[in-house]
Amino acid sequence: MDLTRRTLLKTQAAAAAAAAAGVSLPADAQNIPTGEEIQLQWSKAPCRFCGTGCGVMVAVKDGRVVATHGDMQAEVNRGLNCVKGYFLSKIMYGTDRLTQPLMRMKNGQFDKDGEFQPVSWDQAFDEMARQFKRVLKEKGPEAVGMFGSGQWTIWEGYAASKLMRAGFRTNNLDPNARHCMASAAVTFIRTFGMDEPMGCYDDFEHADAFVLWGPNMAEMHPILWTRVTDRRLSQPHVKIVTLSTYEHRTTDLSDMALIFKPNSDLAIMNYIANYLIQNNAVNREFVEKHCNFRLANTDIGYGLRSDHVLEQRAQHANDAQVSHAASFEDYAKLMSQYTVEKASELSGVPAERLEALARLYADPKTKVMSLWTMGFNQHVRGVWANHMVYNLHLLTGKISEPGNSPFSLTGQPSACGTAREVGTFSHRLPADMQVNNPEHRKHAEEIWKLPHGLLPEKVGYHAVQQDRMLKDGKLNAYWIMCNNNLQTAPNTNNETYPGYRNPANFVVVSDAYPTVTAMAADLILPAAMWVEKEGAYGNAERRTHFWHQLVNAPGDARSDLWQLMEFSKRFTTDEVWPKEILDADPGYRGKTLYDVLYANGEVNKFPLSEIDPAYENREAKAFGFYVQKGLFEEYASFGRGHGHDLAPFETYHQVRGLRWPVVNGQETRWRYREGHDPYVEKGSGLQFYGNPDKKANVIGAPYEPPAEAPDGEYDLWLVTGRVLEHWHSGSMTLRVPELYRAFPGAILFMHPDDAAKRNLRRGQEVRLVSRRGEIRTRVETRGRNRMPPGVVFVPFFDASQLINKVTLDATDPISKQTDFKKCAVKVVAANVADAGSTQQ
Amino acid sequence: MSECHISSLVVHSLPDRIPAIVEHLGRIQGAEVHGGQEAGKLIVTLETETEGQIVERLNAIQLLDGVLAATLVFHHFEPVQERE
Amino acid sequence: MKHGAFAFLLSVVPCLTAGVLFAQDAPRLRGPEPFTKEVPAPPMQRQVTDDVRVMRNYPDQPPVIPHSIEGYAVDLNANKCMSCHARKFTEQSQAPMISVTHYQDRAGNTLGGLAPRRYVCVSCHVPQTTATPLVENRFTDMDALTEPERQPERRRR
Repeated sequence: MDLTRRTLLKTQAAAAAAAAAGVSLPADAQNIPTGEEIQLQWSKAPCRFCGTGCGVMVAVKDGRVVATHGDMQAEVNRGLNCVKGYFLSKIMYGTDRLTQPLMRMKNGQFDKDGEFQPVSWDQAFDEMARQFKRVLKEKGPEAVGMFGSGQWTIWEGYAASKLMRAGFRTNNLDPNARHCMASAAVTFIRTFGMDEPMGCYDDFEHADAFVLWGPNMAEMHPILWTRVTDRRLSQPHVKIVTLSTYEHRTTDLSDMALIFKPNSDLAIMNYIANYLIQNNAVNREFVEKHCNFRLANTDIGYGLRSDHVLEQRAQHANDAQVSHAASFEDYAKLMSQYTVEKASELSGVPAERLEALARLYADPKTKVMSLWTMGFNQHVRGVWANHMVYNLHLLTGKISEPGNSPFSLTGQPSACGTAREVGTFSHRLPADMQVNNPEHRKHAEEIWKLPHGLLPEKVGYHAVQQDRMLKDGKLNAYWIMCNNNLQTAPNTNNETYPGYRNPANFVVVSDAYPTVTAMAADLILPAAMWVEKEGAYGNAERRTHFWHQLVNAPGDARSDLWQLMEFSKRFTTDEVWPKEILDADPGYRGKTLYDVLYANGEVNKFPLSEIDPAYENREAKAFGFYVQKGLFEEYASFGRGHGHDLAPFETYHQVRGLRWPVVNGQETRWRYREGHDPYVEKGSGLQFYGNPDKKANVIGAPYEPPAEAPDGEYDLWLVTGRVLEHWHSGSMTLRVPELYRAFPGAILFMHPDDAAKRNLRRGQEVRLVSRRGEIRTRVETRGRNRMPPGVVFVPFFDASQLINKVTLDATDPISKQTDFKKCAVKVVAANVADAGSTQQ
Repeated sequence: MSECHISSLVVHSLPDRIPAIVEHLGRIQGAEVHGGQEAGKLIVTLETETEGQIVERLNAIQLLDGVLAATLVFHHFEPVQERE
Repeated sequence: MKHGAFAFLLSVVPCLTAGVLFAQDAPRLRGPEPFTKEVPAPPMQRQVTDDVRVMRNYPDQPPVIPHSIEGYAVDLNANKCMSCHARKFTEQSQAPMISVTHYQDRAGNTLGGLAPRRYVCVSCHVPQTTATPLVENRFTDMDALTEPERQPERRRR
């Protein structure tokens, strides 16, 4: 019996005696605390993890988060969270939180080869400003860059975009969302002229069939999976069909699983298009009225370095994005090659299963929701794959109405809200505008109250290109915020790490924890995270949601927003803007970047008195105005009246998020559909108004092979991804003991026959080797994932098994998004003597 | 295997003797006063290893100067297990 | 090796105090040092199968699973978890009954059995291994704030 139980029994005994005597005991002698003591302050916030955007309620007591639970009022999840969400309370409390800036030092000053030592914010920013100024002076704006995040709050992304594009005059700003969403985002714009889904999560309750093109929703989108399984188990006619390169928890609950060979999804979709055409299942009226047909340039290469033989050999590596107007007949002719026999041969899926799937799309009475995420997006033909699924929905007219919905799932909490809507990609501005469009730049300069001609037109370096340019010494001052790219970028040993340690470069990492990336930097800045700051995220269904600062960050940790704005004070316009611009507009002379970007009369318009007095707001207090509101309202002016309307700032602190466009206080659930979307003209029924002719583009493309496929030596396909318990590189979830103990390290999922063939047994240590690099891991032949022969899976959360040393830096040539889902590897037993030597 | 006995008593006392009684109780091993001073009914718990010790201490308390009555109200015991 | 790695980390980041890291597989958080080195993979961890209930961190936390679930089917035909945790089987199995919250559907109606949206138990309830946490977590139990003197000695977590 332990002490607590003794104490509890004694209080119980005393209480019994007190009751018998009719005496009341002092409060501290009572059995159970009551009243004031157990009051918790509950506030709403979105979950910190994936793109689903679940609502959570967060309990605070004495300045600490003590509990979290699913928000009953949140439409997305109605009270449910997944296991990661339920453990949000603990993500901020890992003992190794960064609480002060750390700089590599030798003899009291910065030295690239020095060791990390604590420094003050002033020392950190002084050195950082010195380095940025040096690079700007020696090489110009194109040698400065930033790698941002789909986990940034909306105002952090917006403040970063202003600092990089307007302050330093470079578009070398890209978010880690390039690794996860770029193919989806690019294809939305190519097809509909506007980014993001037409439908929303309400489609889950209306669909008759769910077709999952790759996603393992049971693990990666567990709460959306509850909505799919709810529908399937409550309505017997509903079917789930899952396509994947291996079996997993999602296929366990599917009516039909189609296990296909990597990259052959292209052939399967084209076969279905062909089936629709051959079987008169094309909705002619819809297609006539709402679609244009185009054919894509083919043989477009693999986004590798331009001297790579695969790029040299490709006919259209340099104009991969081009497509040509065509007729329905041209498109039908291209599709006609994709017979069921051909699709079955390329994919390895039996013909009758392919036909059963095609019939779901063909049946006009079956409402189909197609879902996809990294399988399509991390694909050397990711843009084509996205096109091909839209093609199916457009050919049948199954789009923009409840239950008929091609739906792109997202992986980060604000991949949509920050990376895409704010426009932190190297080619984008807010509200779907593009940096290489002079009209768009002019519009941005006006809203930002900046001199004409200031914004650079050249598209900046995308994620993978940034790594290459760091290595090649062309990008020299680099700030990484809110991501762990040295763990998550492809081919890191050869293409990422060398750039960080290149003596010509100064690399800064802002993070809450010492990640792999932080440890390879020159300067580490400690960041506030999640409810340690006021924030806003945008989820996968266009839902913008807000939260208040609920607790303070530890030590000297500061939010990314504070870091960006505070750093901007160290530069004057004379130092960073060209003379011609200042000569033409002398009023901008002698001002700091902070003055012209943030204290510009718009961003600093709202006083501190507008802040809800119930909550702390450290950034606002630091700068003397309601920063978040000012940035949000200035940002929102880009989209209001242009189909991206956001509600007033305060509204979002009241509601559980709203799906844009929000017009007259009403959110929009189905875009482009009359009766749902106020931007559709009366009487037209449906308009894809993102494009000038209000039509969507059906873009035909063929099957093309992947950049690398197994051969005699590297004889296995490698697929990488996540597991339920850990989110991305694990920097938060690995620090929650319950999540860590649930899945404590990466393992190699492998078919038992593949293991037997190599004389490997379950649990044995192996080397997994590609042409780029290798890791040591352990064999798992059972468990949640069941691999077909020839395919292996390794998750990427474990920093001791950096699987991205093995992956290939091939990207989709159009979206520039890496294909993390397929490369060729071999697996060999780890040599025992060898293993010993690394132990030393 | 050893046991742990938890019991409680109401000790009805003369109001002017209460401070002295509380002081005495404090010296008895395992006894703890939880309140009841104002009402003249002290709420006391005993933590002992045997049942006999309860009776022994109860008798001792009854003999204290100013104590009108000491009544046993609650008794619970369980074996003491070594944890882990 | 354990000692060596620890000393090295200290030298790199002097402000990270001793005691911060106490598991030998700390590279799982920060990567190998140097980055280019390959580190051996630690053995796979044993499952916790002692059936001892673990206290929740807060009332809304889904309890962790104190037994192995290897080979448990949760598919369109069967849900193995419910063969012990469904109300009607708990007397035989002595397993805890699924929470009353699990009877509510998305609209808040109380159903006669497990709500379909709660069908996939392992979305929220996870088994545990005997792995030692990589870093201590300083999350504070709300009871420690309301009544600090009455805290049970907890396993390190």
